[in-house]
Amino acid sequence: MGKLLSTILVGALLVSSVWGCGYNDLQGLDEDTKAAWSEVINQYQRRADLIPNLVATVKGYAEHEKEVLEGVVKARAQATGIQVTPELLKDPAAFEKFQQAQASLTSALGRLIAIAENYPNLKADQNFRDLQSQLEGTENRIAVARKRYIDRVAEYNKMVRYFPTNLTAKFLLHLDEKPNFTVADEKAVAKPPDVKF
Amino acid sequence: MDQRQAIRFRRGLIPVLVLASTVTFASLALALGVPPLTGRVVDLAHILSTGDIEQLSAQLQAHEEKTSNQVAVLIIPSLEGEAIEPFSHHVATTWKLGQKGLDNGALLLIAINERKLRIEVGYGLEGTLTDLRSAHIIRNEIVPRFKSGDMPGGVRAGVDAILKTIEGTYRAEERPFSGNQTGPGPSALQYVLIGIVVGFLAGLVLSQGLRQTRALLGAILSFLVAQLASIPLGLVAAGITAVLLWIVVQANRGSRRGTGRDDWAWYSTRGGGWSGGSFDGGFSGGGGDFGGGGASGQW
Repeated sequence: MGKLLSTILVGALLVSSVWGCGYNDLQGLDEDTKAAWSEVINQYQRRADLIPNLVATVKGYAEHEKEVLEGVVKARAQATGIQVTPELLKDPAAFEKFQQAQASLTSALGRLIAIAENYPNLKADQNFRDLQSQLEGTENRIAVARKRYIDRVAEYNKMVRYFPTNLTAKFLLHLDEKPNFTVADEKAVAKPPDVKF
Repeated sequence: MDQRQAIRFRRGLIPVLVLASTVTFASLALALGVPPLTGRVVDLAHILSTGDIEQLSAQLQAHEEKTSNQVAVLIIPSLEGEAIEPFSHHVATTWKLGQKGLDNGALLLIAINERKLRIEVGYGLEGTLTDLRSAHIIRNEIVPRFKSGDMPGGVRAGVDAILKTIEGTYRAEERPFSGNQTGPGPSALQYVLIGIVVGFLAGLVLSQGLRQTRALLGAILSFLVAQLASIPLGLVAAGITAVLLWIVVQANRGSRRGTGRDDWAWYSTRGGGWSGGSFDGGFSGGGGDFGGGGASGQW
């Protein structure tokens, strides 16, 4: 009786290990990463929505800064032109393209805001200051959303790669590693150098 | 295993658990640590009088009682090289201002040396205490007073404006029933506790007669139950508890339950490490979350 019980228990243990090993956890983390990704997309979209007003305000004071103004408009068009679907997370090349487009837009926006340093009237304009605050707020949210996505994806990818959950991931759920942002804070990298007179 | 071996085994685990907790904290820490939440107004730079602090705390408490929003003020002497946005976000999420699920918290952070301040706004308040309104409060209410040297006046005006901006958005009746979990589910600590209970019971039942095989089966059983529920932390805790119980039972036949209490003490140390901080003064965060909304400024 003792031996039978042991055998049954060990057998059940093995089965539950293979099956239970990460099955629910992987599904949960998969959903978590998708949710974190949605949040990132939302914030990038919010930023894109602020830009037309910002460009118009700057144009009012610094119309001949054509290069910078057009640069922002183009970068925005490129970034919003990328079709963002959940499928993007399954395609590392498309993800990379998306990341690049957003980084370019960050650079272009940095140059746009920097213009205000040369135009005191623009700098003091209430509308401009408001838009600048909103932009800063959105950039901060983007940073938080990116960080949360990075953390979620790291957890998920670890589970997809570690033994024995990698077996569950590969054979039971057909889940792959998800792409991650290569730069944690694109704003810090994209910041144009401070120009002091 | 005799009594001496058992004691040595237990002694060896304590430093390991302490180290584990320390390492967890170290990996989370920025150069500047999050101050303990000693009240609704934490003035580490001593720019406010005791009367000011009392008055502001009362005002913030009344607001919470009316709306369930949790607004707090933190004044620090220096950011010590940290940028204000990540630090403020870290403080707000560590203190967990705002109710879980509602995320209706806000933090007014002032760094004296750097002359920088920030209003950090939780997800739930972003609709009324928008980035723009936060920026206006900083620009129009706080900074002018700070610039003229009236620090307490600036803080008072800032808190006033923040509360007025969000007043009435959340009413006490909108709070979820205390039984409902609208959040993401049981915390890590709860899983550990479930695991401990399962492991303990399993170990007890199958340790009847103190036979090695039965106790080992108890460990496997608890492992099994936790595995099926896919609660990795719980299963580790269950396994450890059952095995420890086996050892304790082996080593201390017929002795008091004092040794059982040692086991619980270790787990509460680990649990303390996970809870992320201590709360005094009767005020503690309600579990709210922050998405990075708000505004920064300087004077």
